Amino acid sequence: MLRRLIIPGLAGFAAIGGLLSYTAFAEGGKSSSAIVVASNELATVLAPEELEQVGERESFISAYRRLTESQYRHAIADIFGDDIKVEARFEPERREEGLQAVGNAQLSVTTSGLEQYYSLARSISRQVVSAERETDYLPCDVTSSKDAARKCADEFVQEIGGKLYRRPLTKAERTLTLTIWDASAEGKDDYTQAFEHALTSLLISPEFLFRTEVAERVDDSDAFQLDAYSKASRLAFYLWDSPPDAELLEAAARGDLNTLDGLSVQVERLLDSPRFDLGVRAFFTDMLHFESFETLTKDTMTYPKFSQAVADSAREETLRFLIQHLVDDEGDYRDIFTTKKTVLNRTLAAVYNVPYPSREEWTTYEFDEDTERSGILTQVSFAALFSHPGSSSPTLRGKHLQEIFQCTKIPDPPADVDFSKVQAIEEGTVRERLDAHRTDPTCASCHILMDPAGLALENFDSLGQFRTLENGDPIDVSADIFGQEYSGATGVGEYMKSNPQVVSCVVQKAYAYGKGRKNDYREGQFLNSKTEEFADAGYQLKDLFRSLLTDPKFYEVEVPEGLSARTDSASLTTKAPASGGN
Amino acid sequence: MTRFNRRSLLKGALTGGTSVCLGLPLLDQWMGAHGETLSGGQPIPTRFGTYFWGLGLTDTPAGGSRWVPTKTGYDYDMMPELESFRALKDKVSVFSGFRVIGDGKPNVVHWSGHASILAGGAPDRTGEMIGPSFDNKVADAIGATTRFRKLDITPTGDPKANYSTRTGSAFATPETTPLALYTRLFGEGFQDPNDPNWAPDANIMLRKSVLSAVGEQRRALMADVGRNDQIKLDQYFTSLREIENQLAIQLERPAAAEACVIPEEIAESKKSITIDVVNKNTRIMAKLLAMGLACNQTRVFNFVHTPGTSTTYIAGEPKTYHQITHDEPTDAELGYQPETSKLAGLVMEGFGIFLEELNAIEEGNGTVLDNSLVMAFSDTGYAKIHSLENIPVFFAGKAGGRHKAGQHVRMEGEPVSRLSLTAMELAGASAGEFGVGAMKSSKLIEEVVSQGGDNAI
Repeated sequence: MLRRLIIPGLAGFAAIGGLLSYTAFAEGGKSSSAIVVASNELATVLAPEELEQVGERESFISAYRRLTESQYRHAIADIFGDDIKVEARFEPERREEGLQAVGNAQLSVTTSGLEQYYSLARSISRQVVSAERETDYLPCDVTSSKDAARKCADEFVQEIGGKLYRRPLTKAERTLTLTIWDASAEGKDDYTQAFEHALTSLLISPEFLFRTEVAERVDDSDAFQLDAYSKASRLAFYLWDSPPDAELLEAAARGDLNTLDGLSVQVERLLDSPRFDLGVRAFFTDMLHFESFETLTKDTMTYPKFSQAVADSAREETLRFLIQHLVDDEGDYRDIFTTKKTVLNRTLAAVYNVPYPSREEWTTYEFDEDTERSGILTQVSFAALFSHPGSSSPTLRGKHLQEIFQCTKIPDPPADVDFSKVQAIEEGTVRERLDAHRTDPTCASCHILMDPAGLALENFDSLGQFRTLENGDPIDVSADIFGQEYSGATGVGEYMKSNPQVVSCVVQKAYAYGKGRKNDYREGQFLNSKTEEFADAGYQLKDLFRSLLTDPKFYEVEVPEGLSARTDSASLTTKAPASGGN
Repeated sequence: MTRFNRRSLLKGALTGGTSVCLGLPLLDQWMGAHGETLSGGQPIPTRFGTYFWGLGLTDTPAGGSRWVPTKTGYDYDMMPELESFRALKDKVSVFSGFRVIGDGKPNVVHWSGHASILAGGAPDRTGEMIGPSFDNKVADAIGATTRFRKLDITPTGDPKANYSTRTGSAFATPETTPLALYTRLFGEGFQDPNDPNWAPDANIMLRKSVLSAVGEQRRALMADVGRNDQIKLDQYFTSLREIENQLAIQLERPAAAEACVIPEEIAESKKSITIDVVNKNTRIMAKLLAMGLACNQTRVFNFVHTPGTSTTYIAGEPKTYHQITHDEPTDAELGYQPETSKLAGLVMEGFGIFLEELNAIEEGNGTVLDNSLVMAFSDTGYAKIHSLENIPVFFAGKAGGRHKAGQHVRMEGEPVSRLSLTAMELAGASAGEFGVGAMKSSKLIEEVVSQGGDNAI
C-alpha cells in the first residue's frame, strides 16, 4: 500500500509549544498544503458538479454540528477542571434516521437556548477568573501594569481560545477578543473583569458551540478532505465524546492525521484510553434513545416502585452493562441480547426482585440460568422506555426492536385506519386486544414486524418487573417471527443474536453517527465490507470503531447544497495561509 | 399617523442597531377609539398568544357533537366540552367547520392540523412545517420592544412540546416547569417597572458590547457555508441579537406598569403527565405568564397544554388519552365515545384555568385577558379518525377591543389559515394574506373584527 510521504523539513512545521505552533507554519504560504504529497489516499476527488460549486475555493465549511450536552460538559471539564459548575438546561436534540447525531444537522440555537449558553458562559468565566479558585487559570497578575496584563491576555486568548475552538485562533479572532478585553480594561487597574468578558465571548461564540467541519483542497488537485483539525475533532468527539486533547491537536498541527500511519497511532491511543468509555456511552445513549429518560414517567398508583432514582439507575445500568461487556470483557456484540450478566445497584435489585449481593454502589450480577432475564431487551431501560405510563406496549417494544437494532423503518400508521376493529376489552391479556393487528390485512402488513416480538416480551410489565399474569390471565409469550417459533424474552434474544440485520445495523449506525448525516445508498458496498470485517474480528466494538475511523471514507467531504457566494478570494478558515497567522 | 409609519420606524431601529428607546407615534387606530390607557398615560399594549391542546374535541360522524354550539352569533349555547370556560364565554369566540386542505399532501397524523394553522400550508412530514410559524411574525411586529420577544411554555415537562419555528424545522425550546418559567421571567435580568430607585447597571453596557463583538463575526462565518448551515448560523445570530436587545432594554428605565406585582418565588413541582398534574401546573404557569405580561416582560407567547399525540392520562388508569381516542368504540346509544369525551372535558379544563388566570389581573378598565388575543387550537378535529375537518379553534380575549368576542362562527370547509390571518390582524400584525395553495387566504373573518369604536372592552 502506498503511504503518503511527509516532508519533515518544511518551514514552520515544527510543533513549538504545541497548539500555538500553528502560527509558524502558515507563513510558508503554499507550503502548508505540501504536507500532503504524493497521493490522494486520504482525500476525495469531487464530482464535476460539486467542483463547480466549490469554484476556486481552497476550503469551505462542510458542516456545523452543535455540541451535545455531554460534549459541552466534557469540554468545560477538560479545559477548566471538573470543579467548574455547569448548571443549565440544554436544548433538546433532534432525532432523524434513528440518530440524534444525524438530526443535529438541522439544529441551531434558539433564543431561549442561547440565553442559557450565555448565562452559562458568564457563570463559567466568573468561576474561572475567581481568585478563590485553587487552580489559577489566569497566567498573570490581574493587577499588574496594563501592558503586562494585555500581553498576558493575548497569551490567555490564544491558549484557551485554541482549546475551546479546537484549533488555533485566526488573527482576526484574536484581535476581536482582545478588543473586548480592551473595552473592559478601560480605566481600570484590576483586569479581572476584562479577562472574564474576553472568556465569555469565546464561550458564546458559534466556533465553540458548534463543531465546524472544514474541507480543504489537497495540493492543487480536485480532491478535498476534512482538514486536520476537523479530523482531530471528529476523532475525539467520536471516541471520547470530548474535544481533542493537546496531543491530538499537536498531531493535527504536524499533519500526522493526514497519513494513515499517523492517524492509526492516534486512533489507537484514543481507543486505549480510559476515556473511551465516554465515547461508548455517548454512542449508545444516542442509539438507544436514552434522551427519552428525561421525560419518562410511570403511573405511581400502578407502579409504586417507580421513582426518578429507578429511571436514573436503569439508564446507568444499561450503559455500564455495555461498557462491561463490549469494552472490558471484549464480548461479542450479538451477546448483548442473550447474556445473563448485567450491572446492578440496590435500587434496581428491588425492581428485579433479586437480593443485592454487594456493599459497593454498583456490582456485576448474573441472573439464574432458568430466568427469562437475558440481555438488554429484558433490562428496565428497554422495557420501561418503550411502554405507556400505565401499561406495557408490545407494539412500542416491537417497533423499537426493529428500528433501534435492525435499522428497519416502520411507517406511520395510515391516517384513516379503522380502529373499530381494535377490541376495547379491559379483561384478559394484551394479546387478545391486539388481535386486529394480526387479522386485518391493512394493520398486519406493518404490525407483523412489531407485535410478535413485542408480545414475547410481555412477561415484563411497563416498569420491567417480571410477571406471568395480566388481569388474572396467564400471559402467552410464544411468538412466530417470520415463520420461526420463539418463546419469551429468551427466544427473542436468540432471534436477535442470529439475525444478520442486527450486525449490519450497528455498523450502519456507527458510521452515520460519526459522519453526522444519513448513509448514502451508494455506500452500501462499503458498509457491507465493514460488516464483514466486524464479523471476522469476532463482533468486537473496538475493532469496528478502529476500522471505520482509520478509513479514508470516514473523512470524505460532501459539498453542502447552496454553498454561499464568496465575498473575497481569501480562504476564511484557519488552514489558509492568508489569514492563518500574524 | 398610520401603522405603516410606526412599523417602518421600528423596523429601521432594529436593523440599524439595538436602541429601543424611541418616541413611537401613538397608534390611533389601535388606541384611539377604544384603546386602553393606564393612569400614567402609557397605552396598554395588546398581547398575542397561541394555546394548543392535543387530540381535538368530540364531533362524531354519527352526528353527536360535544362541542359545536347549535346556535351561531352571540350568546351561543354552551356544549359539554366547552363547559370549562362558561364563566368567560362572552370573551371567547368559537369557530367551527374550518379544515386543513391538503393539496395532495398526506394527512400527517397528529401534525398536519396545527402545522397548517401555524405555517399556512400542509406539511410533508412530521416534525417539519412549510415555513416559519406565524407567532414569530406577530412577535416581530409587536414583541420587539419587550425583554422577551416571545415566550414558549408547556406544563408537561417535555422540552419538545412546542411548535414555534423560524425555520420550519428547528423548534423553540419551551419553559417546561413552573420554576423554570419563574426564573426566566423574574430571575436575573428582571427589572421592576415600578421601582422608584431604578438606575441603570453600568456593567450592562460592557456586557452588551461583548455580544456585539461576537455578532461581528457573522459575515465572515456566513461566507463559506452551505444553505442549511446559513440558516443555522442565521438563527444563531438572530438569537444573539435578541439577547443584545434584552440588555439594551435593561439600560432604559422601564415604563411603569400599575398591574405589575412581582410574584413570590416558587418551588419545583412534581414531574408527571397525569391530567390533574398538568392542569395544576397550567394554573401556576398561567398565573406567572399573566404577571409577566402585566409587567411588560413579553407580549407574545405560545402555550402547549398537551402535545399532539397526547399521552396525558388519568392517574391509576392503564391507557393514555391518545390510546383511548382510538380504542374506545362509539357508544351506540350516546352517539359518541364517553371516556374520550370525559378526557376532552378534563383537557379543556386546562384552557378554562388558563383564561381564568389571564382574566384575574386587572389593568386599565379591564383585565390582561381583555387586552390579549389568545388563539387556541388542536391537532385534529375528531381524534379517533385523525380528522382534519372541523378542527376546533377559539379566540379568547378582546385584543384591546378589536376582537368582537363571544360569538360562534361556523364556516363549513373554510381553510384554517383564514383564522390565522384574522388572529394576526387582531393582534396588531396585519399580514394581508397568509397561507399557500388552496389554503392561501386574504379574507378576514369580518364577523369578529371590530371596525371602529363600537366594541369597548
